[in-house]
Parts: sequence; structure tokens; C-alpha cells
Amino acid sequence: MRSQLKNIARSRGLENAILLSILLFLFNLIFPLHDSVVLAIINELLVFLSVFFLYHYLHQFLNAKVDSPLTLVLNAGILAALIFFIVSITNSILGSADSSKGIGFFNSLFSVLLAFVFIGSIVYIFSTFRELFFLRQKKDLSTFYNTMLIFFALSFFSNIFILFDSSFDYPKDAFYVVTIVLICLNSTRVSWIAFLTKKQKYYLLIISVILSTLFGINFATFIDNSIMRQIIYTFSPGLHTLMSLVMIYGTINFGIIFFTTLFHLPTAEAFDRKAEEVSSLMDLTNLITQVFDFKELAETITTITTRVCNSDSAWLVLKSDTNIELSSVHNIGYVDADKITNNLLGSGENYDSIEIVQFDSIMSNTNTGGQLFKSIAIAPLKVHKKINGYLFAARHRENNFDQDEKKTVQAFADYAAVALENAKLIEESIEKERLEKELDVARDIQKKILPSTVPTSNRLEISALFVPAFEVGGDYYDFFELSDDLLGFVVADVSGKGISSAFIMAEVKGIFESLSKIITNPKELLIKANDTLKRSLDKRNFVTAIYGIINKKNGTLNFARAGHTPILLCSGERIQSIQPPGIGLGLDYNPGFASSLKEMEIQLKNNDIIICYSDGIPEAKNHKEEDFGYDRLDNIVLNNCEKSLDLISNAVMKELSLFSKNHSQHDDITLVLFKWNQNN
Amino acid sequence: MAEFNVNLRDVGSVSVIDVKGYLDAHTAPELENIFNKLLVEKQFKVVVNFDELKYISSAGLGVFMAYVETMRENKGDIKFSNMKENVYNIFDLLGFPILYEFYKEEKEAVHKFGNQG
Repeated sequence: MRSQLKNIARSRGLENAILLSILLFLFNLIFPLHDSVVLAIINELLVFLSVFFLYHYLHQFLNAKVDSPLTLVLNAGILAALIFFIVSITNSILGSADSSKGIGFFNSLFSVLLAFVFIGSIVYIFSTFRELFFLRQKKDLSTFYNTMLIFFALSFFSNIFILFDSSFDYPKDAFYVVTIVLICLNSTRVSWIAFLTKKQKYYLLIISVILSTLFGINFATFIDNSIMRQIIYTFSPGLHTLMSLVMIYGTINFGIIFFTTLFHLPTAEAFDRKAEEVSSLMDLTNLITQVFDFKELAETITTITTRVCNSDSAWLVLKSDTNIELSSVHNIGYVDADKITNNLLGSGENYDSIEIVQFDSIMSNTNTGGQLFKSIAIAPLKVHKKINGYLFAARHRENNFDQDEKKTVQAFADYAAVALENAKLIEESIEKERLEKELDVARDIQKKILPSTVPTSNRLEISALFVPAFEVGGDYYDFFELSDDLLGFVVADVSGKGISSAFIMAEVKGIFESLSKIITNPKELLIKANDTLKRSLDKRNFVTAIYGIINKKNGTLNFARAGHTPILLCSGERIQSIQPPGIGLGLDYNPGFASSLKEMEIQLKNNDIIICYSDGIPEAKNHKEEDFGYDRLDNIVLNNCEKSLDLISNAVMKELSLFSKNHSQHDDITLVLFKWNQNN
Repeated sequence: MAEFNVNLRDVGSVSVIDVKGYLDAHTAPELENIFNKLLVEKQFKVVVNFDELKYISSAGLGVFMAYVETMRENKGDIKFSNMKENVYNIFDLLGFPILYEFYKEEKEAVHKFGNQG
């Protein structure tokens, strides 16, 4: 029922209010004098409902303005002044004519219009009080307020009793008194004052004292037996009661607001500062998540520190293991800040928690460029117990930083520390991304250098397998069709990893590709390659390689080995590791290199398998850091030598991944197999 | 994970470097520091004792290649001793025995320097 009423009142507040006002207006024009009780009661009801609906409509309207309580107060004040003005004018014009109680049309029209202005004004003022009452309240106080409203209504209607019997006025007086008591109680709910700024409080102080007086005067004129009282009372006794009550409410409420504001004034500044601290910290929190540039953030931090901590200057320094770097200054020159910083931190001192340094004792002999600071707060930027820098706040004045200000400076320093850490992490992740991109480039180079297909021929079956490590290695293999009968091949491994070895590998490819066209002797080719490489290789880098030439007509293999893993020859049921002497490319100049190298010739038999591989296979590690070794490789090949080449390399890779399943592959793996088919 | 230790001591006029653990790209700079120190001290006769070395990568080998020339130019050398078989195999594969002297015992290597005067 109640909620229904509320719904009607809220949803069609304006329409209802207008409708009732028109009814009231017409009613009063038709019956200017409410001489019968029925007429009076109907009139009272109409007035009450008009007030009720208007009140509900205004509630929605004012709700939007609660963010600026001073505007609400001011609007109420203007209306109170308007009432005062109308009352004064009316009293002075009609004051003498109070006996001529004309019932003329214009008289009644005038009184009705006046009543409407008053209804509008007091409802607006009353709504304002309601909004102020509920402003910034944490608890639900609607019961208190609604009780007061009920007594307002009771006071309003208690006038009807008097109509029956003029001596029957004690209910009215009783309700009236109770309402005033409730008004007094509800007027103390003024906690919103605390949240005003100092300036606003001064403003409110002046306004509230004026308004309290104004409402008091208005109340007095309504009670006083003036023409105004008569006009209103004649129009509706209830309205008169309501108006006087609202005027009392205004007097009491603004009186209390005045005193409360007065008592809040001494703490206003502290409150302002706290509020600024809180909002600054909130701004900073926002900044930290949005600004990735630490420099920019440091500027904000020094600016806010100066403002909030009552200091004249502030600056922020970053500290690494080796040096101290000024990051941002506010209200102080870089040179001065640097001087003071060096003076305070130069001797390797550490400030583990915030400390206040009284200046004249320390800096008396330092020229600070005319800026003499008396007191400096130094707060460390600490993350994970490591000091990454300091925030300084400095004062010209004598008075020391108090406990609160110290805490604030430290809070800003903590924020700076977090922001600094954030910026670092972001930088690191960008760097990591860059390195990963570089690795991608290296992998790309490697992929393009290796042949995409293997040559095919009747008698010689070839299979090649390459598995890159995560970090690019330097494995390389290639085939060169030297003539119809001769096939050259190279399997090489550049020492080291990463982009540098990828570049060396590219060079190695160029060397072998060009030399293979000129030199048809493996040993001579490797000697020439060593000459070329030695010039461009760093002292600590080397390349191991096997270069061989297979005659596809008669099955002879000619090859030389420069420090590379030996060749495996699987012939019949036997496996044999062939390791002719030879040092790695780049280890020594000629003639040392040339004399170390021995060329070998093997005559392949039917179904013989030749296997070249990189050290990524024997040096693969398991979780115990043990090597895969050569024996395992020999056995796998021997057990699978009947199968096709692809199956053999699959078998090797399978065993290898089983062996090192809990260990990342740290080097490239290359496996090149040849099978000689005599009978084809 | 991969531990590496390097220790330098003098045996007569010869510097002996004891290497221990895993010598790879990450730990090689430690060994380089020792060699740099020797160069500053003009100490060119070096024996590297591999007794407790478990693994050596190409980057580890590179350290010796980087310094051996300077040592030899100054009438010194880098000689290797007490090498485990698996470590020796790596040197051997690359042909290091042709370029460097390997000894079973540290004493022999030091003695060799002594003979040369």
C-alpha cells in the first residue's frame, strides 16, 4: 500500500502536483471563504496533497544536486529571502487595510497566488533540508526522518480540530511541540560539513548565520498577528502551521550548521590536507597503471610531494650499485639538488627508513645557490628490501616535518618504488621480446641456408634430418652436384650459439659453395676453407667440418675431416667409426692445419650406410647430466641398418628424445645418411 | 645448476690452473679472468689441471685458443694435464693434441716447462 502510494507519487509526481494545484486554485476561486467545515476540510486535503506530490517531485529533482551541498543551501536561502521579501512588502502595503477583509475576486486571487508561491517555496526549502539530512550519512536514518514527517502531517491536520471547537487546540500544540523536538534532533545530522574544504566552510559559516536569522524573522512574522498571517491562515490553517514549522526548522538547522561549521574550522586545514593526500594517492595509483615512462611519473611524484607535504622543493634520485642519478626535480635546480644529494649520500650513507635531516648542521659549508633548506626529509624507494633511490622533500622554514608528513613522504616514495619496479619490468620484457625476435631472425637464416631438398639418384639414397635447438646453434649441411657422377657434401658445426654463429654459418656456406666448384679434392678444399675462415673468425671460434665426394657411378667415397665427429660406416653386420686425423677449421694456420689433415677413400659395398652427424647427438644430456654418447648411437644404427634411411633417423631421434626427455635440447642436431645401392 | 670453479696456484715458475665442474659459455668468463690476470702479471707458463673437470663446451675450448698464441709469443705455453677420458675425447676430436701438449700428470707438464728453461 505504502509502496504503491510512493510509486504513484514518484512516477507521476509533476502531473499530480499540477493537477492538484489546479484543483486547489479553482476550488479557492469558487469558494474564497471556507465558512463550512466540509469546505475547510476539502481545502486542507487539497493543500496537503499538493504539498505531498510537489515534495516527492522535488525530491527527484534535488537528488541530482547533492554533490554540491552549498548550492542547495544557497537555493534554500534565496527562497527564504523571497518569502521574507513578499511578507515584508505585503505587510507594508496591506498592513493598514487589515480591517477591510474584502472578499473581492482580486483579493482572493491574490491570496491564492500568494499561497501558491509559499507552498512552492516551503516545499523546496523542506526538500533541501531532506537532502542535507541524508547527505553523507552512513547509517539508514530514514525512520527518524519519517517520524518527523508524520508529525509534520499531524500538526498540519490538527488544525481541523480547531474548526470544530476553537478551544480544542491542545492536540495541535502537542503535535507542534513534538515536531519541534524532532526537528531539533534531526538537525544535528550535519556530518557533510566535515567534507567541505576550508574555503567552503568559511562561506557556509557566513551563509548559515544569515539564513538562520532570516528564517527566524520569517517565523516571527508568521506568528505575529500581521496581515500576512491572516491571509495564509484564512487560506489554510494547515499551511500556516506548516510554514511556521519549516521556518523553525530553518532557524534551528542553520543555527546548528553555523555552530558545527564554527567548530570544524580549526581542523579544516588538516582535513583539507588529508583529503588532498587521499586524492593524490588515488591519482598516483591511476598513473602507475597507465604511465610506463618512469620519468613522467617521477615528475608527478615530486610535484605532488611538494604540494601535499608542505615542502618548498622535492626531488627524486635513482640509485644503482655504482651511481646516483637525479630523476626529477620540482622547485629546485638540477645543480642544487645534485649538490645536496651528493652531500647527503655521497659518503655512501644509506637511509633505510625515512629520516629528517636538519640542514644547518650539515650543510652550513655548502653553497646551495641561495636556497638554504632548514629541514629535509629523505625517504628510501624500497622494493624487496633493496633501495633503488630516494625521494627528498625540503623546507626553507624552521619547523620540522611532523609524523603525518613523514608518513606521507614515505607513502609517495613507496609509490615511486613500485612505479620504478614496474617500469623496469616492462623494459625487461621489451628487451626479452627483442632478443626473441633476434633469435627468430637467426633461425630464419639457418633455415634458408640449409637445403630444402636432398638430391636423388638411382644408386645413392640420401636422407637428412635437422632439429634446431631453442637457442640457435650453428649446424650446417649441404650437397653439391659437381658433375653427373660426383656428389659433394658437407656437414659442419660452428662453435657457439646464437646470432653470431648463424652469421658465421652463412659465411661457411658461401665458402663451401664457391670452393666446391673449383676444388674437387676434399683435403685441399678444407685447407682453402681454413685459410679463408681463419681470417674472419674470432680467436675463440672454430668450425668443424667433414667434406666428402661420392662417386655415384662406382661408389667410392673420398672425404676429409676437420675436427668434426667421425663418420659411421654400417657395412653388413658391422658398424665402424671412421676418424681420419684433422683439426677444426680456425684452430691453426697453414701449414699446421694442412699437415694435420688426412684424406680417406672408402669403397662402398652394396647396402653400406654412411652416417654423418653433429655433436648435438653424442653430447645430448639426460637429467643426470650424462652424455648420450657414441655407443648408443652405434647400437641404434646397427639394430636398424636393414630399414630405410628415414626409419633409421627416426629411430635415432626417438631414442634421443627418450634419453633427454627431462632436459632441454641445448644444441642443434644434424643427421645425414647415405645408402649405396650397387644393384640399381 | 652447472657449477664451475677455477683456482690458480704457482708451482715454481709455472702457474697451474685447476678447473672444476662444467666449463661452458656461462662459466668461461671466469677462466678468462684468470688468464687476463696472468697476462697482466706477465706469467706465460701455464698448466691447466683438468682433474675435476666434468664437461667442456666449445666456448670452453675457445678460451684456450684465445690465449695460447700470446703465451707462445712470450716463450710460454698452455699445457694440459690430468684429463679424464671423456674430456680428452672432445679435445681429441677437434685435433687439439696436434696443437697442444697433453700430460697424464701435472708434474710432468710442469717439469716440461722446467726443461725448456
